[in-house]
Amino acid sequence: MNESQHLSSQFDEELNRLRTHVLQMGGLVETQVSAAIEAYSTGEIASVKSIVETDRKVNELEKAIDDDCAHIIAKRQPTASDLRLILGISKIVTDLERAGDEAKKIAKGVRRIYENGHLPGQYGVGIRHLAEAALAMVRRALDAFARLDTPQAADVIRADTDVDAEFKSIIRQLITHMMEDPRTITTSIDIIWIARAIERIGDHAKNISEQVVYVVEGRDIRHTKEKVQ
Amino acid sequence: MSSQLIRALLLALLSTVVALPIGYFVAHWAGWTVFCLGLALQMAFHFRNFARLDRWSHNPVVDASLEGEGAWDGIFGRLYRHEKDLREQIAQRDHEIAMLIAAGQALTDGVVLLDLHDQIIFCNTTAETQLGLVIRTDRGQSVANIVRQPEFVAYLEEGDFSRPLTMRTERREDRVFSIHIIPYAGNRRLMQIKDVTQTDRLDRMRRDFVANVSHELRTPLTVLAGFLETLQEFDVDREERNRYIDMMSEQSKRMQSIVQDLLTLSSIESAPPPESDPVDMVNLLDKLRRDAEALSAGRHTIIVETDGQGDLRGSEPELISAFGNLVANAVRYTPAGGTIRISWHATPQGAEFAVQDTGIGIDPKHIPRLTERFYRVDRGRSRDAGGTGLGLAIVKHSLNRHQAQLEVKSTPGTGSRFAAKFPASRVAGL
Repeated sequence: MNESQHLSSQFDEELNRLRTHVLQMGGLVETQVSAAIEAYSTGEIASVKSIVETDRKVNELEKAIDDDCAHIIAKRQPTASDLRLILGISKIVTDLERAGDEAKKIAKGVRRIYENGHLPGQYGVGIRHLAEAALAMVRRALDAFARLDTPQAADVIRADTDVDAEFKSIIRQLITHMMEDPRTITTSIDIIWIARAIERIGDHAKNISEQVVYVVEGRDIRHTKEKVQ
Repeated sequence: MSSQLIRALLLALLSTVVALPIGYFVAHWAGWTVFCLGLALQMAFHFRNFARLDRWSHNPVVDASLEGEGAWDGIFGRLYRHEKDLREQIAQRDHEIAMLIAAGQALTDGVVLLDLHDQIIFCNTTAETQLGLVIRTDRGQSVANIVRQPEFVAYLEEGDFSRPLTMRTERREDRVFSIHIIPYAGNRRLMQIKDVTQTDRLDRMRRDFVANVSHELRTPLTVLAGFLETLQEFDVDREERNRYIDMMSEQSKRMQSIVQDLLTLSSIESAPPPESDPVDMVNLLDKLRRDAEALSAGRHTIIVETDGQGDLRGSEPELISAFGNLVANAVRYTPAGGTIRISWHATPQGAEFAVQDTGIGIDPKHIPRLTERFYRVDRGRSRDAGGTGLGLAIVKHSLNRHQAQLEVKSTPGTGSRFAAKFPASRVAGL
């Protein structure tokens, strides 16, 4: 950001490092989410442990990045776009951390289903599709942040509607299924939790994209119907 | 240079010579005026040339040649030539750089150049598609910002580039890449990205194969060893012992057939291409029918459909073994009372041998992997049915050697159809 305008190149370096740390954290979350989906479709619950462990790393990074943000604000008193970048980052890490938590929830849900000897069966495809859409949103939101690319961020925000709609249709299917055969209720409830977690991951990706728009354009588009360009 | 100086002095002298008599005869001031006028003329001349140079230097173009007057002409000429040479050199360099970049683009491996801070300087289009980079916007971006996978970030930070990193990417439907970072020119880094999806798959198949062979051979061996131990350690009555020996011989036959199939497979793989003598299909079909009837022992209806036209060019034993395998599978996996239809149709465009059954069928997700060695749809059942897990692998290999394709269509619960399609070059006698 503003590279040519800063007299102090050390400041630039600090900002760049901060950005790279955020994206590193993003990389961990992406891996968590995709490992959770993989565990869901293959039933390899061995990976659940590593997902939970990655979550610890994500939490540590969140704290470290927040600390860095506070440091930079105190030491450099940034203004304008630099200030927006730091404010945006401190919100983005919160969303990333929560997305990681959701991935952990998925992993634990998968373990519960398989340990009880059930198979997600017919919901395999639907859930996988939903999860892939959510993972693509996270990936594109992080890309948009790396490139400060607002059109891409706008795309992600729009994609959230599709994920929400798909989530609702899965829930409807599950309800019908539970009414037809009450023996499936336990598994169905676990699947609902998983679908819910995936849908939340999509929401976090949307929040990240909104922060990207804020960082670049200085417009706060949260909770508004304002059109994103 | 000195001639220019002399010329300037001479002109000054000339003004002096003109001015002196005027000053002497007319008036002092008139003499001075003439002298100054002479010098001023000279200055005006120089200033005009200076202005021309000044104008040109703001926007040095080489289309219109730069011309000066008098002493200035030489200087202008040299400047102009210098500018022109420089431009030519730059154009030459640009061309060379463009050629280098084009060479980089032509590489089938991905290449990314990184600066001292791991920021992207250049990447070719292969790397763009492999890693999801966009060089237009990502130049100057740290590579770890876009390639965020934790294993890659760790590899980049660790700084031990003695071996490449093998990494599965999620951006492009499960491709496997081998990424090697090579330091060059001090601390700069070159990333080389190879697509090793295919090699990775082969490696996995080979590992699976070894594991499967060991497993398949160990199972009967464990049974054998167990019975032997029992016979050694305990006194068992005669009847019991005979039962054990029966089971042991059954297991040893199993091992024998696995080893036999493995040998067949490896001999097919290493054998020279099959001969192209015509094989009498009427005869062959008759033999297949008799074998099938023997195996079925009257439990199935076996139908041979053929118009008796056309023969196949190829190795008779290999074809018998391949077709026999397909027929035997159909008999094994069809419950009693089912129908097995063996058909042969040849046209000048090609021929098809097919076996259709009304058996248990195969789930579509298994079909692509059916011909892998030791691949089993249902482990327990196929072993009970007496399979070694190598049958279809042998079939596929034999057919491949005859340029034939194996087509499998199946509906679980309704039946399967295995068809071998031969090209026209393999059909004879039409």
